[in-house]
Amino acid sequence: MAGKAHRLSAEERDQLLPNLRAVGWNELEGRDAIFKQFHFKDFNRAFGFMTRVALQAEKLDHHPEWFNVYNKVHITLSTHECAGLSERDINLASFIEQVAVTMT
Amino acid sequence: MVSKLSQLQAELLAALLESGLSKEALIQALGEPGPYLLAGDGPLDKGESCGGSRGELAELPNGLGETRGSEDETDDDGEDFTPPILKELENLSPEEAAHQKAVVETLLQEDPWRVAKMVKSYLQQHNIPQREVVDTTGLNQSHLSQHLNKGTPMKTQKRAALYTWYVRKQREVAQQFTHAGQGGLIEEPTGDELPTKKGRRNRFKWGPASQQILFQAYERQKNPSKEERETLVEECNRAECIQRGVSPSQAQGLGSNLVTEVRVYNWFANRRKEEAFRHKLAMDTYSGPPPGPGPGPALPAHSSPGLPPPALSPSKVHGVRYGQPAASEAAEVPSSSGAPLVTVSTPLHQVSPTGLEPSHSLLSTEAKLVSATGGPLPPVSTLTALHSLEQTSPGLNQQPQNLIMASLPGVMAIGPGEPASLGPTFTNTGLASTQAQSVPVINSMGSSLTTLQPVQFSQPLHPSYQQPLMPPVQSHVAQSPFMATMAQLQSPHALYSHKPDVAQYTHTGLLQQTMLITDTTNLSALASLTPTKQVFTSDTEASSESGLHGPASPATTIHIPSQDPAGIQHLQPAHRLSTSPTVSSSSLVLYQSSDSTNGHSHLLPSNHSVIETFISTQMASSSQ
Repeated sequence: MAGKAHRLSAEERDQLLPNLRAVGWNELEGRDAIFKQFHFKDFNRAFGFMTRVALQAEKLDHHPEWFNVYNKVHITLSTHECAGLSERDINLASFIEQVAVTMT
Repeated sequence: MVSKLSQLQAELLAALLESGLSKEALIQALGEPGPYLLAGDGPLDKGESCGGSRGELAELPNGLGETRGSEDETDDDGEDFTPPILKELENLSPEEAAHQKAVVETLLQEDPWRVAKMVKSYLQQHNIPQREVVDTTGLNQSHLSQHLNKGTPMKTQKRAALYTWYVRKQREVAQQFTHAGQGGLIEEPTGDELPTKKGRRNRFKWGPASQQILFQAYERQKNPSKEERETLVEECNRAECIQRGVSPSQAQGLGSNLVTEVRVYNWFANRRKEEAFRHKLAMDTYSGPPPGPGPGPALPAHSSPGLPPPALSPSKVHGVRYGQPAASEAAEVPSSSGAPLVTVSTPLHQVSPTGLEPSHSLLSTEAKLVSATGGPLPPVSTLTALHSLEQTSPGLNQQPQNLIMASLPGVMAIGPGEPASLGPTFTNTGLASTQAQSVPVINSMGSSLTTLQPVQFSQPLHPSYQQPLMPPVQSHVAQSPFMATMAQLQSPHALYSHKPDVAQYTHTGLLQQTMLITDTTNLSALASLTPTKQVFTSDTEASSESGLHGPASPATTIHIPSQDPAGIQHLQPAHRLSTSPTVSSSSLVLYQSSDSTNGHSHLLPSNHSVIETFISTQMASSSQ
């Protein structure tokens, strides 16, 4: 079980979020979470992507909130324990980015 | 009887395998003792799937099979595509291979330039040397570089090899990171192309994120202790992981680019050596070449570097080169040309950390140098300072030194943010305000910098009227422009700028330059700027000016030929500057001694950006 479930402080956010923002993650309003929409060529790729993310989520014991319709995947990341963003979200987001690159 | 795996099945299988599941584990989980390699002889399910995969392998829809064959040849140089069983295991089975093929095919259909950009950014992100790609794909390095950087066309087959490498590399890296904690398991880590070929890892390379951190730390302290180095190691590895989009806890996945204390130690040692070297160059430049006639570049005329600047106000301006008493200068400098050079190196210690690190350190170094030697360094001139000198009305009292030198912030970079800061400061009266008008000078190399706008100048200029003499350039003034410049130069944040070196040059150059431009004539008049250029010294009469000269006869002053268009004097830029590719040469700071009519604008002659960085050594010709 990965630790680091504490809510990110302002400095940490300044340090970590810019990188994610740069690739398209946005902070949601009214909620301390980050969100991004992914598009894939077709359902297979999308689901392949989701499978990879799912396997990693299980490994990290940190799961995303997501929605999928055919080739689109919308992902929202937030940590329930601290009711906001934590390092786990950042880690998972980084992993998601990595996978997304491979899948186009 | 080959049953083809549906694409989704292939995807899912690939996902499973990529998640770290080894083929054997998968097979075992399926209850199949027979290894996959048995070519489908096993039980139906397994056999079929295995056979299917194999079959699929052979009959990949777009004829990838053939491509595969050819690719194999290409790839065999580096990565064995169909290596013996051992490799195959790591290679994640044919499903994965099939998946990879599919991905490659997709990439091939896309716009080559777009894909090239993707690949290039991936290389930058992970700091992978091109050599590795070349070794494994057999492509020509020049061709590869041109294709990635400029979009030079590349044949499909070769692109396929490239994309195959790309896809495989991504998997490798992903696995490397995933298994970071478990120790490198992949035979072919990012560093090695072929485990068998040579057991050598790729050469370590600093990433832009790490460099930023290091430069900031260097600013704070040039000689960190072991604990500090270790802290930096952690920070850098963390930044590198973030740059690559992985969790910092997987730092081991960085492979050959993992930052260690030794590397940090070496980095600091190299920076210190660099600084010393630059210092040495500065010294050489100053004492070396004899003052040229007229505008001549570098006027080392200022007396021997060893002489400490007279009455240099201790404040920031260290490097003021007063040029010792006019005599020396006069002798050396032809009357027509701006005689004495006032160079002031600004301490710039305050340079804001972000992105200025290199420059910052340079500046401080220069500053120190100057003070030590009495100003041999030709830091950015404080044109503004000089200018202001003239401008200031006679009544102003100011310490002499301040006037001249004070304003020299050393590096006056006109950064985008500068004007604002400069402006207000100027208005302050008294030297204390400091903000020396930042000398616009430095323009940096970076494209971004080019903005030396006259604006920057003007701001400072205005106040000059009010102020007696240019107040010593506050470090912040100098630094901001400089920093801005540097920041722009650096600009890597989040981007992998592959030209950090440019920045390096830049700041080097900046320091070297010295600029001075002042309208000395005004000294006497202060208020009115007369176009004529006069040796400063002569004019020192003015009360205010006297301050300047203060102790010794007037120090150097830079005159700006009053011509309107641009009295620009360029102080000889040290030739030691490395040229920055983009920067224009011979920077000059143009000051115009404009009449009051010009008003504030006088300083800034028209809009040509007078300010140019000195980066180049050539000297700008001064308009006389």
